[in-house]
Amino acid sequence: MAAEGPPGRPPRPAGERRAWGWVAHLRDGGTTPWCDWSAPAEPAGLFLPGAQQLELLRRINLASDRRIGPDLSRRVLEASAPGRGRPDLELVGASSGSDFGPRPVDPSDLPAEELIRVAVGLVADDLTADSPVSTGDSVWVRPWRTRYRLVGDPWVTDVWRDDLRRRGRPPGGATPRIVVVGGALDALLANTYAARAFDTGVPSWADWVGAFAARNTLAPRVDLAQVADNWARRSSAGSIRVVLDPRVAPRLLGVRRLPKVEPPGATGVELARLVASVLGLSTTPARRTALLRGVLAPRIRQAGAGARLAVPEEHRDWLTTRADRMYARLTAADYPVDGGPADLAPALEPGVTTPERADVLRLAMRLLTMRDLKTGGNAE
Amino acid sequence: MTSRVILHVGTPKTGTSYLQDVLFRNQERLVEDGIHYVADRFDAHFLAALDLMRLPWGGLETEAVGAWDALAEEVRRREGTAIISHEILATASRQQVGRALTSLGHEPGGTGTEVHLVISVRDLVRQIPAEWQENVKHRRELSYGTFLDEIRDPERATRIGAWFWGVQEIPDILNRWGHDVPPERIHLVTVPPSGAPRDLLWQRFSRAFGLDGLVLDLTGERANPSLGAPETALLRRINRAVNGVLDPPDYRPLVRELLAHQTLSQRTGSPRLTLPPDAVSWVTAIEESWIAEIEARGYDVVGDIDDLRGRPSSAPYADPDRPAERAVAGAAVDAIKALLVDNARVREEAGRLSAELHDTKSALDRAYLRPSYQRREAIVRRLQSSWGGRRLLGLYRTVRGRRQHG
Repeated sequence: MAAEGPPGRPPRPAGERRAWGWVAHLRDGGTTPWCDWSAPAEPAGLFLPGAQQLELLRRINLASDRRIGPDLSRRVLEASAPGRGRPDLELVGASSGSDFGPRPVDPSDLPAEELIRVAVGLVADDLTADSPVSTGDSVWVRPWRTRYRLVGDPWVTDVWRDDLRRRGRPPGGATPRIVVVGGALDALLANTYAARAFDTGVPSWADWVGAFAARNTLAPRVDLAQVADNWARRSSAGSIRVVLDPRVAPRLLGVRRLPKVEPPGATGVELARLVASVLGLSTTPARRTALLRGVLAPRIRQAGAGARLAVPEEHRDWLTTRADRMYARLTAADYPVDGGPADLAPALEPGVTTPERADVLRLAMRLLTMRDLKTGGNAE
Repeated sequence: MTSRVILHVGTPKTGTSYLQDVLFRNQERLVEDGIHYVADRFDAHFLAALDLMRLPWGGLETEAVGAWDALAEEVRRREGTAIISHEILATASRQQVGRALTSLGHEPGGTGTEVHLVISVRDLVRQIPAEWQENVKHRRELSYGTFLDEIRDPERATRIGAWFWGVQEIPDILNRWGHDVPPERIHLVTVPPSGAPRDLLWQRFSRAFGLDGLVLDLTGERANPSLGAPETALLRRINRAVNGVLDPPDYRPLVRELLAHQTLSQRTGSPRLTLPPDAVSWVTAIEESWIAEIEARGYDVVGDIDDLRGRPSSAPYADPDRPAERAVAGAAVDAIKALLVDNARVREEAGRLSAELHDTKSALDRAYLRPSYQRREAIVRRLQSSWGGRRLLGLYRTVRGRRQHG
């Protein structure tokens, strides 16, 4: 941080010196709350970090089982929260004394949302500093492979497609078999939402589902009948098969097995959604997708993404009706369907409709400390 | 390298769009006098501000990646005086302000590039209803009453409250932006009261930005006309009806531009949006505190500090949350008329394009019927049916410089 202010300046008030003491304590890995801190120190910069930044650093220190590196603590204190919301707040007892601006706060009273704003910006910065892992497109392509296209559930098809590529069986070819991957409609909806969150960014889960319910329509990839119709219109497409039972898929794709795909965790998806919004401010759309899927997704899986997403209760009847209609359309159009209406009906497994903010913050902090450990951030 | 930067950081609804239009349109003329308004598009500084403050803005932020650093670099490259202007910069945090000033060559204590801060300000009596209306024009559904409650909340815990005071609270903006700028380099331009000569605000801008004596094209292009109380009430109802079904790329041209700016703003006879009577004393107290603070700090005021004392309207208060339904109905009829006329235009265009497409398809079908084409298609189908044939076809296409997709 820059040197202290101009010479000849009157001594800093006691509250401000106490705050600088707290800053030094937190930079050293301290976890004492502001209200319990008293030791002063000389200023180490032009102005104090915001209360949100200080409290985030304290909680990171608290949550981490090791002392975090100086680079991470510096970045936390220097971060500005992206997006709209409350500005950097002053500490109660150490404010500038101005009658203007937001009220000073006790940082322990700050809601998780305020800390998430700062943390999400830092997670996004970590991603932009990293490179996505290569998917291994240089693998030898098996000439006897089944020609296919995997469409439908993007959360599942992305994993399967990557796995098949690594095994020398990329999609495409002349007159490929079109495998439309589906499943329980609520899971399909959640998977599609998760895939979007790790791509372009989406509104909140409740708003997203609510918008489709209001229009009585489905996201394009969720409407399996529409997906099948779109491919049927292409002259280059081969046979079309709708798969509602994942156990059938390997045989159709010419392999013995495919990886099991875990449903997306609500907390991880929510964090990805927030990070995607910030990443859109600092990188191109293509790179954003690559970073979210290739870097953030594996880290979230490692850190723990939480319970699955559940459709809000007020939309479940609507979804059940849509599932019935979809199955009827598929069979009326004579598409071969592996699975019955029960496989398309919402499964209504237990899950989360609105992720807890505290959980999202915990996950964000975990990602920051994981990367800090990985990059070798050691205490001075 | 630029020796002087004039950084105009706010506030919204103070004639900033007009100023930026004039600066953008007169870039070449300004350069002749050593003044640089670096912008390759009219919203270049807006994008730079989004980038600096990492603000999402309905998808536009994707065009803003790297915009601030690019602007700062270009500004530093130029010789003379550079002007940067966007009103949302008002809400920058201290860290963001520090980054902005450093990127422009400012050094601690005010050394380095000579940065001057300009803030255009208007009385709060007019700013409050104007900001609510701007929210409604950006798809918000909240009532005027709710808006007032949120900005009156001393905690400023909501996005509305935090944003409003972030871009309007003059002394706080000065605290953040002026923290390390010598006071003699901080200038406030006051917006004259209603009824003042039309060019008075421009004269003040001209003086603050050092443009006096320059012959510039002062034609205004982008307008942000205000709506009356019934029209704003209608717009809010439209938002409630369409927000779930109309995507942003459609909302902007249809609702904001066609309905709000081109149609509803023409209804100038309807009651204007004003401050409710029970908020006047609260607002007046705030204005007085700001005036006292500005006077105490001794900043350069271009205009009259008394302009910050708003003049509450003497007309009967028209509550946009309980509007005269007849007036709203009249506004709705105008809106429907505008949409029908526009729809007719779109239908005509669609018909023309459909005819063009039909002609193009017919030409393509005729081409496909040619015997030479049919022979080639048959050969391709035959080759595609075997492994060896597909390899041969792939090799042929590679040699021809094409790869088949799909």
